[in-house]
Amino acid sequence: MGDPTTADLVRELVLRLLSSGSRPIPSINDASAAAALRYALRLLASRMSPSLIPDELSLVESIKRRLAVSGRSPAALAFADLHSKLSARAPLLNRWALLYLLNTLSLDRRRSASSPPGGLPFLPLQPASHPPRASTASGAVGAGGGGVVRVAKDPENIREIALREFADLVIADTEVTESALVRDVLYACQGIDGRYVRFDRSSDGYDLPESLKVPRHTRTIVRRLCELGWLFRKVRDYISEITVDRQFEIGTVGQAFCSALQEELSDYYKLLAVLESQSSNPIPSAGSDSGGGTGNYLSLMRLAVWFTEPMVRMRLMAVLVDCCRVLRGGAMAGAIHNRAQHGDPLVQEFMSRLLRRVCSPLFEMVRTWVLEGELDDLFAEFFIVSQPVKAESLWREGYQLQSTMLPSFISSMLAQRILRTGKSINFLRVCCEDSGWVDAATEAAAHVGATTRRGGLGYGETNALEALVIEAAKRVDRHLMNVIHNRYRFKDHCLAIKRYLLLGQGDFVQYLMDIVGPELSVPANTISSFQLAGLLETAVRASNAQYDDREILDRLKVKMMEPGDGDRGWDVFSLEYDSRVPLDTIFTALNMKRYLRIFNFLWKLKRVEHALTGLWKTMKPNCINSCIFTDESFGVKLQFVSVLRRCQVLWNEMNHFVTNFQYYIMFEVSEVSWAHFSEEMDASKDLDDLLAAHEKYLNSIVEKSLLGKKSQGILRNLFVLFDQILQFRSLADRWFERIYELQLRGKSKSRSKSKDDLSKMSLRLDGGRKDLIHLAREFLRKMSEDLSIIAKEYSTALDAFIFQLPMQQHIDLKFLSFRLDFSEYYTRVSSNK
Amino acid sequence: MPREIITIQVGQCGNQIGMEFWKQLCIEHGIGPDGLLEDFATQARKFHLIRFIYPLPLLLIYNGGDRKDVFFYQADDQHYIPRALLMDLEPRVINHILNGEYRDLYNHENIFVSDHGGGAGNNWASGYHQGEQVVDDIMDMVDREADGSDSLEGFVLCHSIAGGTGSGMGSYLLETLNDRYSKKLVQTYSVFPNQMETSDVVVQPYNSLLTLKRLTLNADCVVVLDNTALNRIAVERLHLTNPTFSQTNSLVSTVMSASTTTLRYPGYMNNDLVGLLASLIPTPRCHFLMTGYTPLTVERQVNVIRKTTVLDVMRRLLQTKNIMVSSYARTKEASQAKYISILNIIQGEVDPTQVHESLQRIRERKLVNFIEWGPASIQVALSRKSPYVQTTHRVSGLMLANHTSIRHLFSKCLGQYEKLRKKQAFLDNYRKFPMFADNDLSEFDDSREIIESLVDEYKACESPDYIKWGMEDSEKALTSEGSLAGSLDSKLTL
Repeated sequence: MGDPTTADLVRELVLRLLSSGSRPIPSINDASAAAALRYALRLLASRMSPSLIPDELSLVESIKRRLAVSGRSPAALAFADLHSKLSARAPLLNRWALLYLLNTLSLDRRRSASSPPGGLPFLPLQPASHPPRASTASGAVGAGGGGVVRVAKDPENIREIALREFADLVIADTEVTESALVRDVLYACQGIDGRYVRFDRSSDGYDLPESLKVPRHTRTIVRRLCELGWLFRKVRDYISEITVDRQFEIGTVGQAFCSALQEELSDYYKLLAVLESQSSNPIPSAGSDSGGGTGNYLSLMRLAVWFTEPMVRMRLMAVLVDCCRVLRGGAMAGAIHNRAQHGDPLVQEFMSRLLRRVCSPLFEMVRTWVLEGELDDLFAEFFIVSQPVKAESLWREGYQLQSTMLPSFISSMLAQRILRTGKSINFLRVCCEDSGWVDAATEAAAHVGATTRRGGLGYGETNALEALVIEAAKRVDRHLMNVIHNRYRFKDHCLAIKRYLLLGQGDFVQYLMDIVGPELSVPANTISSFQLAGLLETAVRASNAQYDDREILDRLKVKMMEPGDGDRGWDVFSLEYDSRVPLDTIFTALNMKRYLRIFNFLWKLKRVEHALTGLWKTMKPNCINSCIFTDESFGVKLQFVSVLRRCQVLWNEMNHFVTNFQYYIMFEVSEVSWAHFSEEMDASKDLDDLLAAHEKYLNSIVEKSLLGKKSQGILRNLFVLFDQILQFRSLADRWFERIYELQLRGKSKSRSKSKDDLSKMSLRLDGGRKDLIHLAREFLRKMSEDLSIIAKEYSTALDAFIFQLPMQQHIDLKFLSFRLDFSEYYTRVSSNK
Repeated sequence: MPREIITIQVGQCGNQIGMEFWKQLCIEHGIGPDGLLEDFATQARKFHLIRFIYPLPLLLIYNGGDRKDVFFYQADDQHYIPRALLMDLEPRVINHILNGEYRDLYNHENIFVSDHGGGAGNNWASGYHQGEQVVDDIMDMVDREADGSDSLEGFVLCHSIAGGTGSGMGSYLLETLNDRYSKKLVQTYSVFPNQMETSDVVVQPYNSLLTLKRLTLNADCVVVLDNTALNRIAVERLHLTNPTFSQTNSLVSTVMSASTTTLRYPGYMNNDLVGLLASLIPTPRCHFLMTGYTPLTVERQVNVIRKTTVLDVMRRLLQTKNIMVSSYARTKEASQAKYISILNIIQGEVDPTQVHESLQRIRERKLVNFIEWGPASIQVALSRKSPYVQTTHRVSGLMLANHTSIRHLFSKCLGQYEKLRKKQAFLDNYRKFPMFADNDLSEFDDSREIIESLVDEYKACESPDYIKWGMEDSEKALTSEGSLAGSLDSKLTL
């Protein structure tokens, strides 16, 4: 309407209408024209609309019918034609409105022909002339006629008479006066039985006694009003029950809830007091007064109006009371929060007021938890519960989220963060005996600002809460990470574990193998771990480990796993790394056990490697070449060369396997996992991240080293291979011992002969020499047989292993088979079969 | 303490490359020419934990990292002293060392120069004989060093095979060590003569052959340093028009120090010489290793800095032009040549995950030809670069390979020997010494036979039937050997 062109158009229209007929176009300054314009503008500004359903078809029909009735059927046909064209062509939006307007105008014009001249028929030019009490019709237009209904003002006396009659009728119908009922209702609303209105236990509600003769509508209205009383009773009962009997059981949140309810009720009492004072004013009887008396009397109807708002509140309270009856703490707050999602601003406002009260203890708990790490929760209402545990499991088990107590307006992510922050503080306090977190917390509080005052946080400020928690978490976690990395040197310890438990410190491991190895061949239960500890110390001092930090070396200990039946020292020997508080949260007993398993496995692998290099030393080039190979005079050279070469080829195959397995362990398992871990370690922002990273690291090593649950089968096979290699080693040791012995005997014999008559002597073939040759041949035959057996067993086991390898579904094992079959030797062998 | 290695350098060439080797080790360990730790090296020990946490995940070397006691021991006054024995029959080179920058490094008790100082006159027999004469003095020194170590791993001998002292005295030493320390490893770095130029040592083929026999029989591992190839590399790769001995020697010292890095910087694997060599030498006679190194630089030479990745380095190591042994093979034979084993020692900042990718790439491209009679693979050892040595490249690599094409080098030696022997040239010089007295040249024939069989064995390794090789061969040999062997052979068949 503010559009000037529209305003101009309207003025134009008014002037045109006024000027219709014989009158000249009036100027806008004309008083009547101005009035008409104002009126028109008011009409347009109003939301008045014809009380008609905008139904184009029926309108068209009515116009047609009217035209037809008035005897102008051609016009009707023409109209129908035009209308169909109009609707077909022009994309007019308000076709109905247009038609309607035109129709009305035409009707008006027709009427104006008969009405007294004097202006626009529809624009009443003399609104002030109507009497004030007259109820003007809002321009209702009958659908059928399309005309304007006007209710004419009745003559005054007729109305008066009718009212009086009505009042008489009413009085005759009731036994009780309305004011008495009003008073009773007010009583009922305070939970007190009135004279007539009583609480009826059987129907659980206030009601008028059946015997009382009151009009039906009065009875209904009384009942309806008394619902408030019923609700009130409910709320009041709940409050008194809580405050008197269950005060401690319900907890602080419940108490806050009650106090909030109480406050609401006192508002309600105030209202009742006002109403009560009003109720003493007499109700003017229906006919007696026509607006002259005081407005402040109470009738039942007025009461109903008064009660609408309290009723809504009371209903809400009653509902809340109902649903919170069994709940406590965070759960209660959550339940209330769930009801607060309401479109009605009244309800919303009420609920948020209530919630602010209810949640304040909860928020206070959050605040103390994230800033001070205290669980200020006497009544177990908080969504975090603690339980007494040892320091090492404080982080994992000390505190738990209790999802039932988690109000739904706190997201589970936020809850996790809250939990972790407090946990970090407690971890720092208990495990690290650190107090630097106080600074971090204060800093965080200062950063977030004023919202962190005691009780400063309230419901609806979830953002502020989140900001506080995030800030506190960030700082506390950063501090915790600092403490763990710098004061407790987490990375150094990880490295130490990698060096000693995962055998990264090669020279140390080698030396340890050298000196501990011989001790471990005896049955497990006869080994003194005390002695081994001494050897460990020797190994440390002899290797580069000696330059390591004393604090780290002190933690390195010998650990014997529980020996089973027939276990040798090899099976139970292990190194242990003593993880002290607080790092035992990360290196838990369980994790250390896994490290032990890895150590044991790698140790076994090293042992096999050690055995193989030991064997190589026995048959190393200058021993074989210079001593045995050249021993032409022996005569069994051919046989020996053949056996020896088979032995070497088998050795090569075993060595290839073990070496490549080691390379796999180093490159694909140890180093790669460590690289990832190291990366994640640096990126981790809190202890949970760190724990997860470490878990992943350990898992990846366990899985890739075939120690996982899934690879038990293949691991068994691997151990079979190891056993065979060790067996081969001990056999070969015996063989070569025997060979050297035989050779020595041969040498001593041949040395006794001088060089020049050697040919003569050898021709003689004395008996001792013959025996020796026979012995050697016999021995070599036996060795060859043994060798065949072990070679066959080994290749069977290796085939099985290589066959099983691709079925492990572990991506990294591909690397292992890749390495084992780098020159595609095994592919060729298996394809030749 | 553990796994000590005693270095014995014999003769002119041996002492020269030995000197370069010790210089290099001193630099890498931060030891000054006087044997004292440099200041930066003592400080490094203190904050090693900070230093060595690399941004890249190379953590194979932990804390201070280096293990000096493999090659050095500490005197009472904190001096680091090399476990080195310097021997020569003429004083020139040793005097040069004793007047040089590093004169205070060595233990002077460990230096042996023969009294007369006349040298061996490029005569193997003379060197051998003189070695025999002074064996007590020499073995005294060896025993003293060996007693001074806790668990001696073995000996490393540096010498050349063409001259007189290094070859003759070295040969005698090899035999003696083999006899006395049969449980210890004996590794040699043997310089083979340059066969492209006419040498001033005309009897070079004799010397080489006689030394090769000892290398075959009495050494556990021979790292072949072929002067021909070293010169070629210096000319072609380093663009030196006329490479000096000290330049080729610095190549040698680079190889020597690189091949010992895994011993000096302990990691998860390859921490001792046995472990290193065992995988390289599966069959005892084929213990001659080739080396390759990349990228090569020589002092004072500004090389173009290339981007070095693991794959780059590993691929380049397989190229013949980087290998420090010339194989003289005709193309037909070269295509038959096979690797028995390969070990790549990669130094520098290496992401371990790259190793696998590189291996995969090399296999896909079929860049390596391995033996067919057993499984084999490229072994890769990662090692750290010394923090005290600045290099322009991030990654460098050394290859130790056991390759059958080395037999061509021996064949060449044999060929040259045959030529000389046919002419019966220069044999008089040898007859002067007891071994060849009375015109007993059986030592030559013996050596020739051994080298021939070595060549044959390498050749056999190229075939998939290596396991069966020699059986029929020996049968033939046996039948030709005469009645004794024949009679034994018939009994064998029971």
